[in-house]
Amino acid sequence: MVRARGLAVLISATFVAFACGGTTGGSGSKGEIDIASSLPVSGADASSGLPTQQGAQFAVTRAATVRGFTLKFVPYDDAVNGVHDAQKGVQNVQAMLSNSKVLGMVGPFNSGVAKAEIPVANQAPLALISPSNTNECLTQSLDYCQAANGFTPSSLRPSGKNNYFRVAAPDTFQGPAMADFAIKAGPPPAGLGITKVAVWDDEETFGQGVAKNFAKEFTAKGGTVVDTKSYDPKAKKDFKDFLASAKSKGAQGIYVGGTSATGGCIARGQMAGVFSPDIFYLGPDGIGDAQCLKDSGSMATSNMFATQGVADATQNPDAKAIVDAYSAAYPGSSNLGAYTFAGYDCAALIIDAIGRAIDANGGNMPTRQQVIDALAKTTNYKGLTGVITFDPNGDPTHPTLQLQQVKSNSWVFVAQFQQGA
Amino acid sequence: MIGALARTPAALRNFGNSQLATLIGILIAAFGIVLTIQHVLQHDASFFFQILTIGIADGAIYALIALGYTMVYGIIELINFAHGDVFTLGAFISLALFPVFGIAEGASGFSYVLPLLAVGLITMALCAVVNVAIERVAYRPLRHAPRLAPLITAIGMSSILEGAMYLWKGPFNLHYPDLLPLTRLNIGAVSIGVKDLIVLTLAIVLVVAFTLFINLSKLGKAMRATAQDRDAAQLMGIDINRTIAATFFIGAVLAGAGGITYGLYINSVAFDLGFITGLIAFTAAVFGGIGNIPGAAIGGLLIGMVRAFSDSYFDSSWTEIVIFGILIATLVFRPTGLLGMRVPEK
Repeated sequence: MVRARGLAVLISATFVAFACGGTTGGSGSKGEIDIASSLPVSGADASSGLPTQQGAQFAVTRAATVRGFTLKFVPYDDAVNGVHDAQKGVQNVQAMLSNSKVLGMVGPFNSGVAKAEIPVANQAPLALISPSNTNECLTQSLDYCQAANGFTPSSLRPSGKNNYFRVAAPDTFQGPAMADFAIKAGPPPAGLGITKVAVWDDEETFGQGVAKNFAKEFTAKGGTVVDTKSYDPKAKKDFKDFLASAKSKGAQGIYVGGTSATGGCIARGQMAGVFSPDIFYLGPDGIGDAQCLKDSGSMATSNMFATQGVADATQNPDAKAIVDAYSAAYPGSSNLGAYTFAGYDCAALIIDAIGRAIDANGGNMPTRQQVIDALAKTTNYKGLTGVITFDPNGDPTHPTLQLQQVKSNSWVFVAQFQQGA
Repeated sequence: MIGALARTPAALRNFGNSQLATLIGILIAAFGIVLTIQHVLQHDASFFFQILTIGIADGAIYALIALGYTMVYGIIELINFAHGDVFTLGAFISLALFPVFGIAEGASGFSYVLPLLAVGLITMALCAVVNVAIERVAYRPLRHAPRLAPLITAIGMSSILEGAMYLWKGPFNLHYPDLLPLTRLNIGAVSIGVKDLIVLTLAIVLVVAFTLFINLSKLGKAMRATAQDRDAAQLMGIDINRTIAATFFIGAVLAGAGGITYGLYINSVAFDLGFITGLIAFTAAVFGGIGNIPGAAIGGLLIGMVRAFSDSYFDSSWTEIVIFGILIATLVFRPTGLLGMRVPEK
């Protein structure tokens, strides 16, 4: 159903493209420029990947042309057997590189995929702009990056130049934001006022990153991390021993560094009977979806909180017209993900940069490097999710984070805070 | 002199094959146990008993699956790799049957006991039919083929079952209704979940019942006879095909029961669950002595406890290394497992 509707829009967009292409003989299109995406849009990850792809697609369909060039959206799926896959992501990038019309890519969705895609795209070079990657080591050269993740920004960029940008707040923001919220005196939305938390992660780049940053900030603010565990989500779905240990050590809440696809909320479901339902369950954007609520079962209570690495576009009055138009084109809550409008912004930022690159190139088709250069110069771009300026690393200078809470079995907006430079 | 020199390596080799290997095995096990005790003493007793209960409950589920591996191995010397997926199928079928019988999460109570029993029986029967069909289609035609051939069809059947479940329910983690009571028993400072106790009782009763059935019933006798010498058994008038089918039937009944028990305990199942769970149960079967039915039960319980202790007292990242290390150590130092390979004496 969802995919059928996406396909319908894609087909109509293609028709528009053909219609424009048909007028080339007259005064119309100067050619075709492709904007690709590589996101997980099948299987377990589709619940967050597909709405993001639709956001990007909507931006391309809306713009339709840039400086006389026809725009076309070329989506790729980086999921294999329903889970995002780094190798598949690399294959997608290679397919894009072989198509000279592709000037930029929206994606990837997952940090673990980004670390594989960036080096391949970097040698081409092709501009990547991610709506949702949050691993800090993708862009920031921190002392623990090589040891903890096995890569540094420079090891991912063999050419020595940057080709990677993102609009989401890096984990250096997401973990600590939740830690600050947890320790501040309550009640929500001010804070939770808890001092003892147990932390577990899913052994993935993303999960371990946020968990570590949460623990660091929580300890620095005077809290205690009473227990820490890492679990391979494929092998381990039984969290009872961790929960028993957390309880015996007096945990008032559990922080999970994981995603719903890696079983991030199965532990929440198993807390029934071990803890009372008012125990807090905190996590990053990865658990802020419907799958998490299903896995939580009877424990999907209002004491679950998740951060999202992007602002809520529906809280932005300037974005209302586009948000409403999107909801008309893709009705239903399942088409509205946390990163839908981040996906929109990513595509819009590429289009904006392509426009400036065309201008700088005397109205001709720009090179991929010229698009990257124009993207890097993006200053105070008014996106749906915030005003975006990129720092030299490709990170947004002032990312906005939002906090969500479970209310009557869905995730709702609680608060958002813009981070300092 | 020369003769003595020539004899020594032979003696050493003999020693190395038996006593030395056992000695090394015992030393490794003793080292693990001492290390565990040291860690256990650093925590309080209440925590120890909680982990012990979780370990036994998990282990009892592994034992249910391990029995199926060991029975099939005992009778036709085939490692039925599809067995772990029959276990997952049990969880999936019961999950689909719950709405039919009006079972939903929330009001867990005694009114659910009868419908749950009905779901259990239907699930076990369906799993058994599937497993017997697998035997008929994929293993029986290959009974006289080289031993690698049925092993490969077993892996193929495993993939087919996983693929079918993937198509049926998708790749998502499926929430399994939490129907067992959530109350906890407090004995002194020790707090143990009633749920854990129900799961381990259920699994242990099933394991004991089926072990007795195989040891005491006429069909069980036929199965053991077939395992010892297929031709002789046939000469004594035992229907080999029916006996082997019955083995697959009983194995799948236990796997189906295991699937339901797992679902009720863990509250989350996924299409590929059987792969890793099957491997761990297989390890349990080898550890206890493959082909040996009480061995599989004891192996399951021990592996469950090893897992729970490794997860909670050590770093959980080590758990798989420990479990599959046990598999390798068993095969190297004591290939017949803890209780020995009692059945296939040829």
